[in-house]
Amino acid sequence: MKRSKRQLLSRMADRIGKPVGAAIAGSVLLSACGNNEAEVQVYQSQDDCRNSNPELAEQCQAAYQQALAESADTAPKYDQRGDCEADFGGGNCVPYQYQGNSWFMPAMAGFMFGRLLDGNRYAHTPVYTSRNPYSPYYGQWSTANGYRLGKAGYGKRISVGKEALAPKPKVTRTISRGGFGSTAQAKSSWKSTKSSSRSRGWGG
Amino acid sequence: MLRVSHRERPDWRAQAEQLGFGFHTMYGEPYWDETAYYQFTLAQIERDIEDPTAELHQMCLDVVDRVVRDERWLRRFRIPEAQWQGILDSWRRRDPSLYSRLDLAYNGRGPAKLLENNADTPTSLFETAFWQWLWLENNVDAGRLRRDADQFNLLQERLVARFAGLAARYPGQRLHFSCCKDTVEDRGTVQYLEDCAQEAGLDTAFVYIEDIGLGEGGWLTDNQHNTIDWLFKLYPWEFMFQEQYAEHLVTSRVNWLEPLWKSVLSNKALLPLLWQHFPDHPNLLPAYFGDDPRRNALQDYVQKPLFSREGANISVVRHGKLVAEVDGPYGEEGFIVQAYHPLPKFGDNHALIGSWLVDDQPAGIAVREDRSLITQDLSRYLPHIILG
Repeated sequence: MKRSKRQLLSRMADRIGKPVGAAIAGSVLLSACGNNEAEVQVYQSQDDCRNSNPELAEQCQAAYQQALAESADTAPKYDQRGDCEADFGGGNCVPYQYQGNSWFMPAMAGFMFGRLLDGNRYAHTPVYTSRNPYSPYYGQWSTANGYRLGKAGYGKRISVGKEALAPKPKVTRTISRGGFGSTAQAKSSWKSTKSSSRSRGWGG
Repeated sequence: MLRVSHRERPDWRAQAEQLGFGFHTMYGEPYWDETAYYQFTLAQIERDIEDPTAELHQMCLDVVDRVVRDERWLRRFRIPEAQWQGILDSWRRRDPSLYSRLDLAYNGRGPAKLLENNADTPTSLFETAFWQWLWLENNVDAGRLRRDADQFNLLQERLVARFAGLAARYPGQRLHFSCCKDTVEDRGTVQYLEDCAQEAGLDTAFVYIEDIGLGEGGWLTDNQHNTIDWLFKLYPWEFMFQEQYAEHLVTSRVNWLEPLWKSVLSNKALLPLLWQHFPDHPNLLPAYFGDDPRRNALQDYVQKPLFSREGANISVVRHGKLVAEVDGPYGEEGFIVQAYHPLPKFGDNHALIGSWLVDDQPAGIAVREDRSLITQDLSRYLPHIILG
């Protein structure tokens, strides 16, 4: 048979299925950092972090563990290992399971560590890099949401803006509206002057 | 391939309105037409439509791969320079796509010919995926079509599966759906897609294109000030590139459906590039840019603007004479010419096949008819069956 087997959708009949996605745990630590930039270093492991910051051993451990947890929640997920490796390079992807589904995601290459400018909090954002020279992430540190931080290198000091540190907020104050749609409006007015031509929409 | 007259289901209009297909009749003209159907053999569907659709799609992706890396072509496609990097990154990341529709000229014999690729904002989705399926089911149940009559229409099943796959890629993200105000057809299409996404278990919301806001931090917002993570837009990329929020397309970190790289595929400049890279391919028609001297070899041709929709600004020239023309608001961006290839004629009707893909796989067909040589926005939609 070359057609769909069942047809009535949930809105038309009864609803089936459950949300697939895991809720992303918002990072409380980082969302508070406002517009300020922070200076961070990327460490590969908690040991590297401790060795460079012996007085902050506890913070290193906490940051590493938070980064691992955040990575599981926010790293991009792929159905196929090959698709993940196309972005992040061969051998750089790990399986991930959630609610009986299996995916692949890039292995965390390291985590940002550094005191945020608003006080006693420490950055803990996971970072990734790619071994595939054709990937936009090749040789770069990047965050789970695709923000690129520059050339990858452990221990080097980098300044990051809130864009890189802050997960995208769920809600924000809207400053303006109407920045999309003007072309359709202009073309519609062309159409309304031609009684013979009537538009049904902007698809095709 | 046959056109077979058929009795209408007595109650279909009432049923259509209940199920969200209010646009079955528009401006007093029928759009859905079940006074006839098209009949194909399985071999015609599989050998002549399904396989070439998969191949043509791969050829199109091959052209995208060349264009996104080449300034000369990006310029030729009239894509604003400010968007080049975003498009290239989107292609390199392989930002996933949902669907496409290839328009084919096919008369039941010989190779189908690609007329164009609606890769960015294809419509006639509800009619295809749901309504013509229901038409077949009702007719079989009523004993008015044979029980072994089939249809090439896996569209809904594939869409739901595709949404489930995409949800895994963007865990926890709400998918916003969007189209323009005052377009009953687009609103219906988007509503149907939202239903499919909900079927796949996604968290969804709707916002009109005109209502999208810019929030503090440079994020795009909906009417409730929620930031938009993931947006399906039934609105052309080439329009968005010209508009006020164009500079926020990348920095707002929205996962776009269709992705940015689709702006290369939905552009008619694709057609001359296909012909250049796959010359004499049986499913292609010769095509050239308007200013290419090689076009002079074409006696009978169709001239198309790079960005036209629904047949607007298309003209047909045969033996040097203009034989058909549709007016419209497009064309400032330049034209291409494509060899004229007649659509098959059944009675007074020219039939056009829309061949759908979901997740790069062929998924079903739509047949539209128009009395004119150029299929326009008032063409009629007819169902089809597979028999034999």
